[in-house]
Parts: sequence; structure tokens; C-alpha cells
Amino acid sequence: MSTETTVEEQVTVASKVGLHARPAAAVVKAANELPTVVKIGKDGRVVDARSMLSLLSLGAEHGDTVTVSAEGPDAAEAVAAMVALLASNLDEAS
Amino acid sequence: MAEVTDLLVADAVRLGCTAADRFDAVRQAGEALVRIGAVEPAYADAMQEREQSLSSFVGEGFAIPHGTDAARALVRRGALAFLQFPEGVDWDGQDVRACVAIAASADEHVSVMSTLAQVLLDPDQAEELRTTTDPERVLELLAPAPEQDDETQQPQETL
Repeated sequence: MSTETTVEEQVTVASKVGLHARPAAAVVKAANELPTVVKIGKDGRVVDARSMLSLLSLGAEHGDTVTVSAEGPDAAEAVAAMVALLASNLDEAS
Repeated sequence: MAEVTDLLVADAVRLGCTAADRFDAVRQAGEALVRIGAVEPAYADAMQEREQSLSSFVGEGFAIPHGTDAARALVRRGALAFLQFPEGVDWDGQDVRACVAIAASADEHVSVMSTLAQVLLDPDQAEELRTTTDPERVLELLAPAPEQDDETQQPQETL
């Protein structure tokens, strides 16, 4: 058995424009600052949230449900932070 | 819904370009979209506006300049333009070797970027797009013939 803890949570993308432009930039920035690697998945495609190209490849639009996941001791905290970010309106984020 | 395969034509593929800076590169990208009749000339101005407000750098040596949300009305038809800069362009501290300019309606924009991003995420395809001297290869990589696999067994829509 692995001692690694996997945390996974679903969230609806709140940003009006979906996950690109400013919202995607905000997600990439936050993901790079989190203590563990956070992944975002949609329709079976799971990508590293630290990469803009990977995020764009998801094609996540406003109202789409995505799955946020992370592993390790900091997983719960990291997933909660990313879920909160995705559930907020990032359209005006800078 | 338009696919990337429908969006890139040979006239919009420019290899061996040089640009003084990223705004010059975006200007050239806008001109390419105007030249093929995909957008109103004012869309090119909106691309500059978008670039000034937020860099369109996406990683792997690529930028994807496009207009502001408000400028979508200036899009006549969905299209891409490909501009390669073999000497590189300083993109707000990042090294950009190719731009894929996007003209898309609000409905298409996210799916076009998704398809494009999946091509650019392939290291071999990305490297070839950054370095090829053959415009046909760009078309083959960004506008490939529909694959005959399980995902495309539905009849192709014809207009």
C-alpha cells in the first residue's frame, strides 16, 4: 500500500470565458505556488495545472465540471485552494 | 463546429519571418488574418490591445495572439495564421519561435485553442513547427486530414 494520499474533488468552472486567458493565467500562477503538483481533469484528460498549454488543451468552458486532484501530505490543502480558485470568477483577475 | 483542420490555409502560413518585438510580431499576425479575409482590419488592432493587456505566450516557444472578446464581432470566419520566427522574438522575457494567430467566434474559441494546444503539447510536432522550412508540413501538422479512428467514425458534416 502506498502511504501517498490522493485527494480528488470536482468543481464547476465559474469564469465566464472558461479556462483560458486571465483565468488560465491565474490558475497556472497559483499551481506553481502550491506546495504540491495539482492536476486538473476533464473528459478523461488529466493535465498538470502548472502548464498553460496543458490547461488550454482541456477546452474547459464556463459551467464545465472539472476534477482537481493532488497527491501527498499537502494534497488536501492544495486541492482545496485550486477548487476555490476555479469556483471563483477569475475573469477580472490580474 | 469548425475544427482546426478547416481553419488554416496555405496563404496564412508564413515561415522565416523576423520581428522587432512581440508587438511587431502580433501586427504581422493580424495582417495575415486580414489578408486572407478572415477578419475586419480593426481586429488586428484588438489583437494589439489583447497583447498589451495579457501576453499570449503559452509555452514551448509559441504564442497565440488573438483579439479581445469584444472584437469577436470583427471575425468574418474562423481562421488561423501561422508565423514562424526562426531567430526568435523576445516575448516579455520568453523566447517565441512561432505564433498561431486565432480568429474565432465566441462559440468556437475555446475548442479551437484546445485542439491547437493538443498539437503543440506533442514535443516532436512542436519542434517541427518551430523549425520546418516546408509550409506543407505546417499544414499537415495543424490541418491534418481527418483520422480514420474510433473517434471520427461519425459521418463528416458537409456544408
